Amino acid sequence: MSGIIKSEPFTLNIGPQHPSTHGVFRIKVKVDGERIVDAEMVMGYLHRAMEKLAEERTYTQNIPFTDRTDYLASMSNNLGYVLAVEKLAGIGVPDRGNAIRVIMAELQRIASHCMAVGAFTNDTGAWQTPVMWCFRERERVLDLFEMTSGARLTCNYMRIGGVAFDLPREFEPATRKLLADLPGFIDEIEGLLVGNEIFLARTRGVGMLSAETATNFSLSGPMLRGSGIAWDIRKADPYCGYEKYDFQIPIGYQGDAFDRFIVRLEEMRQSVKIVQQALDALPGGPHSTHVPLALRPPAGEAYARVEGPRGELGYYVVSDEGPSPYRFHIRPPSFINLSALKEMTVGGTVADAIVVLGSIDIVVGEIDR
Amino acid sequence: MTRQWTGPEVAAVAERLVPGAVDRSTPAACYLKAEKLVETMAALHAAGETDFVHLTNLCGVDFWDHFEVVYHVQSFVNNAIACIKVDVLDRDRPAVPSVCSVWRGAWMQECETYDLFGIRFEGHPNLHRILLWDGYPGWPLRKDFLSMPGGLQPGLDEFSGTKRREPPPVSVAE
Repeated sequence: MSGIIKSEPFTLNIGPQHPSTHGVFRIKVKVDGERIVDAEMVMGYLHRAMEKLAEERTYTQNIPFTDRTDYLASMSNNLGYVLAVEKLAGIGVPDRGNAIRVIMAELQRIASHCMAVGAFTNDTGAWQTPVMWCFRERERVLDLFEMTSGARLTCNYMRIGGVAFDLPREFEPATRKLLADLPGFIDEIEGLLVGNEIFLARTRGVGMLSAETATNFSLSGPMLRGSGIAWDIRKADPYCGYEKYDFQIPIGYQGDAFDRFIVRLEEMRQSVKIVQQALDALPGGPHSTHVPLALRPPAGEAYARVEGPRGELGYYVVSDEGPSPYRFHIRPPSFINLSALKEMTVGGTVADAIVVLGSIDIVVGEIDR
Repeated sequence: MTRQWTGPEVAAVAERLVPGAVDRSTPAACYLKAEKLVETMAALHAAGETDFVHLTNLCGVDFWDHFEVVYHVQSFVNNAIACIKVDVLDRDRPAVPSVCSVWRGAWMQECETYDLFGIRFEGHPNLHRILLWDGYPGWPLRKDFLSMPGGLQPGLDEFSGTKRREPPPVSVAE
């Protein structure tokens, strides 16, 4: 056939208004036939200049901004920021505050991975049913957040020196009930998808990344662990007392979209384990230390990172002894994970590009800030 | 626990690997000379004792009279992180060599720093304004980008004991 039918490359626009781009994100792909020969990312539709705004707000006033970067993991974002400020100002946190932070961060990971897994299966063609099952469980986590912080999505719960409120009395029984149900739900989702031939055909061998490539592209989180590198900030550089909890780091072996999916499922199981241990050993005492409203940390800089649901979530804060940060920089995991998008999509089909993008699990609020 | 390399420790290794690479060092960070940056970074990436295979964070900071570009690099095997910086003194035409040839993960972050600070990364394969649009007036994260369109200024003055920063110590181009 070659030589008879001639094909020439043309540009196909995916997004910005497209359900598969998970927000306002655009990929300009150049296709030759069905094969992608080039992919260019266009972003910034949601840019809100948070790093600039933060330079004119007090340290405490900046906490709500961090909710709105990665709106699917507001607790983890709060945590990363307050850890950076605490490191800068040398503020300690009571044991109970740390335990509550761990519980919230892990519940947030479960909620965020529910969303990631659901949206990913949606992208592979398992239309709507798995995503609704995932949303059902995510709703229950959000109910817990509402009970504790008053908000479901943008919680604004962590404070410099602790957390905003103590846990309400009904929190523990509701959480234990959820923890009892979650393993069954994860098994159900796994049974639904892992043995499914269509799902395997869509995800196995798609978006392959070797361990060296993943490292060189600065990837983190499930993207890095899916490629076989057991790197988790919670183990490597424990914060909030993570060294006290017994959990494992799941890794993949091939570095394809399926491995990243499996890593997320397994991380949810590990998070259930961590929350259980934290609830069992929840210490008494105060949940927060007193910190002045107009905090003025000593001049200097601090880089603190947490293992967010999407990877290494870092905050770099520079102080000049003023009431607001001199420089406030967010290291957004999904922005940097996107740098491998071209590497993973070129050579594949357009349908594979959608699966690859789903497996990165981007949140556009975090990419554009 | 991750080992945090201090500035002098990094400086000692960098100076041994690439003589004349280090500008100065503070307890928190090691300052490299811009002209030897890529060579030194490649050496720190390859050497077994440092093994900085992962560029975690790259960002710029504006100090009115000069910029700093901050690199946080880490090693998985040694479980260590280090902070390396470069001074950018020329405020009119700020430029730093790109480290994309060492870590391809620098690609996006250098674009972002260029977009918001106007620091050119020489040797970058495709340096463009990644978040804002081409032709956006000014570089928003510079300290002399004071007011937003419409003259709005977010205020700290509402809170007792908080005041806006003093005007810059150097003259600022409009």
